[in-house]
Amino acid sequence: AQERQEQLQEREKFLKSRIQELRQRRDALREKVRQAVSELGNLGIASEPDPREVLEWKIQKCRELLRLFRLTGISGKLSPHGISLSLHTSFEGSLLDSFHLELQERGDSGRFWLCRHSVPPFIPLERLARELLPRNPRQFLGILCRHLNTFVGRREQLRKLQEEFPDSVQVLSQNSLCNFLSFRYRIPAESSGEFQEFRAQLRYRDPTGTRPDDVTAVTGDGVAVPEHSELLRRLPLHRALRQIHDTTAGTTTTG
Amino acid sequence: MDKSIFQPYEDEIRALEEEIWLLTEKYKDIRQESISFSDEDILQSTSFQRETQEETNGQESLSELKAQLESLEADLPSLMKFTGFHFTSHSKKTLERTRNRTVEKHRLSGKCHSLSFQLEFQLLEVQDNEKVSTVVSDLSIIMESGEDSNVSKFVSSTEECGDVVTFFRSLSTYAEWFEHRRRTFLHFKAKYPDIVTLPEGLGGDFIILRSPKVSGFELVIVWKIHLNEEGTTIPVLDLLPKVPEQVLENSMTSVENIPGSFRSALRLFGIEVSIENLIKVLRSEK
Repeated sequence: AQERQEQLQEREKFLKSRIQELRQRRDALREKVRQAVSELGNLGIASEPDPREVLEWKIQKCRELLRLFRLTGISGKLSPHGISLSLHTSFEGSLLDSFHLELQERGDSGRFWLCRHSVPPFIPLERLARELLPRNPRQFLGILCRHLNTFVGRREQLRKLQEEFPDSVQVLSQNSLCNFLSFRYRIPAESSGEFQEFRAQLRYRDPTGTRPDDVTAVTGDGVAVPEHSELLRRLPLHRALRQIHDTTAGTTTTG
Repeated sequence: MDKSIFQPYEDEIRALEEEIWLLTEKYKDIRQESISFSDEDILQSTSFQRETQEETNGQESLSELKAQLESLEADLPSLMKFTGFHFTSHSKKTLERTRNRTVEKHRLSGKCHSLSFQLEFQLLEVQDNEKVSTVVSDLSIIMESGEDSNVSKFVSSTEECGDVVTFFRSLSTYAEWFEHRRRTFLHFKAKYPDIVTLPEGLGGDFIILRSPKVSGFELVIVWKIHLNEEGTTIPVLDLLPKVPEQVLENSMTSVENIPGSFRSALRLFGIEVSIENLIKVLRSEK
């Protein structure tokens, strides 16, 4: 029991001194930060820069610029015989999936060949690479990016549609490329509180198109609803359905 | 057991370690964002002959850092050359930083080939387990060549939804077409200096082919590059013949056919071959 008591006291002493040490470090850092903030107004630095600090600053700057390249849709870095690229997709401000490509340069020819990649099979990568890559890598990347971006955009629209209307939208069929889609949706009728059922079918014929080419929206009985199909043609799916709700059901928005 | 007695100590230790991490990051941010070394500062202090004793104390040595920097500095220009994007200036301010969430304000200027741009935006990054989500908001874009009303419509709709990636991708294609036109004009001017004139220079949007045999007979090729609201680049080419009276009298029909056959040639053979053909026709005119 005596030993036990000693052990507990040891532990307590250790913890207390650790806390003391950490508090000192924390206070020193608080002072350092306070001073740095007050120096913000001054132009540049008075003393001669430390080589380490300059190096770290330059490294950080380079890293930031390389990271910013993500926002241009294409980022990457050199690899032993070529370049390793990441293609970034986005929808309405959010960066979504990235796809990777490795291009190799054969000798000094200035021509590139496609090695490994993580592009899904329903994107016509091999055909594009065959037609464009050797002589025009930038055009190849540009068109490939458009295919990927529009695909991810369509998929994201569908996801947002289902997320925002989990109870009133039911997807009947879709394909992997998300360019053929049919779903059921129901809108509460104004006064009765009952629901009106509709069905919609969308087809995007151009794989790089952001808006559907063929849209049909019909009631449960097969009567066409041109106002709905017009909205679905013009707006992203979730926004189109939001507007359909607003106009049909009065002002009963989910907020 | 023992644990409950010491829990408050351990909680405080964890809280202090967390605060220390946050303060360290905040200090790094402030220094990074407020310092800007002038070129002379950089030249002066990276004179590695000066270094004698390197205190490592767990950090990387100066030579390791130098190697890191060299590798990064090789990546950046290759990427710029490959994509056509050159960033000329960038500044960032960290507005908020916690363990899982960072909010930064960025100002970025650069060129895509010959077209300049300037962007300001807010970047939110949230870490959720393994996944990092990045969201752009408050996007503001200034683009040179904003005289075109379609360009400004495209820019506004992009700003509205914060779609910076679409902006850059569309800009890339748009700028590539300008480059392509420039190179094509240059190629023909160099190859046929007696026939080709560029009244507005390589950056203009038309090229004149003068017949070497028949004075006053000119073919004006207009090559406009439009950017529509959705960000798609649309090149439009047209041919305007300038024909003196006598030529018209002698061969009206063949002259009338020139613009039509030029348009067909464009569809079938592309721009360079079509222009090359026109020049051949001019040279062989009687």
